[in-house]
Amino acid sequence: MSRPVKVSITYCASCGYEPQALSLTAALLNTFTYDLSSVELIPWEDGSFDVVINGDLVHSMYREGGFPENETIIQAVRERLAD
Amino acid sequence: MTVTQERYRQGMSYDAYKAQMTRNADRFAANEQAVVLSPDDVAFFASLTPPLYTLVIAEDWCGDVIANLPILGRLAEASGTIDIRVFLRDQNLDLIDQYLKEGKFRSIPVFVFFDHNFRELGHWIERPTSWTQKLNDFRNELFQREPALKDFSPDTSPAQLPEEARNVLSQARATFRTENQAFANQAVVSEIRAIIEASLASKERSA
Repeated sequence: MSRPVKVSITYCASCGYEPQALSLTAALLNTFTYDLSSVELIPWEDGSFDVVINGDLVHSMYREGGFPENETIIQAVRERLAD
Repeated sequence: MTVTQERYRQGMSYDAYKAQMTRNADRFAANEQAVVLSPDDVAFFASLTPPLYTLVIAEDWCGDVIANLPILGRLAEASGTIDIRVFLRDQNLDLIDQYLKEGKFRSIPVFVFFDHNFRELGHWIERPTSWTQKLNDFRNELFQREPALKDFSPDTSPAQLPEEARNVLSQARATFRTENQAFANQAVVSEIRAIIEASLASKERSA
């Protein structure tokens, strides 16, 4: 049985990034439902949009620039579920 | 593509912008009231040949707009030389895409200054460099001294911090911002003034 996968999304609330955070959350829940242990939304600031899966930073707006494609994050979750 | 004076005039006045805000109006007003301008800065801006056309790109959900646009508003009021026209970023992507931070980020607020002949003098984006540095220094120091944070690098994403550590960081940042608001406000005025002074000095040399 695959280990539970937790996704944490830090988004800059003062930058108006809620739509992107909610879109990614909906995509993850629609795709994986009970395979996720949780999706954590963290309102932050400083222009951040970070996605962490089981403690690994898989997307950082500072590092990669811009928002991640939902499909990229879905694929990263799939890989961890397959571990 | 440059901003024409005709396009500039399509922007909202400062008061019209405030009137259409749907959120953060109270914080905006409180920040406006908290601004203290030095007589020297007011005298400098008052000495400029009016008007100093100032194109602003903003949104009312943005913390840096709530913090920094009121400073420009107070400076305009005190100096009597600054004409402000505000454009909402998400409805004017052609404007914001001319003033991207580091060439890629649609950061706001953006202040673009034009002289009385509508020649561009320069622009300012988001927040003062010195304030960003001060925030970074504070964050580094906090991660060294705070027990909940000292096992982590200051570069750690908030999403990778335990909830307790994240709450400590969030609270400490909020307190630091409140205690250093005067520094941050003065840094905005100083940077704007430096942009205008440098541009005017450059024009004088080339005249």
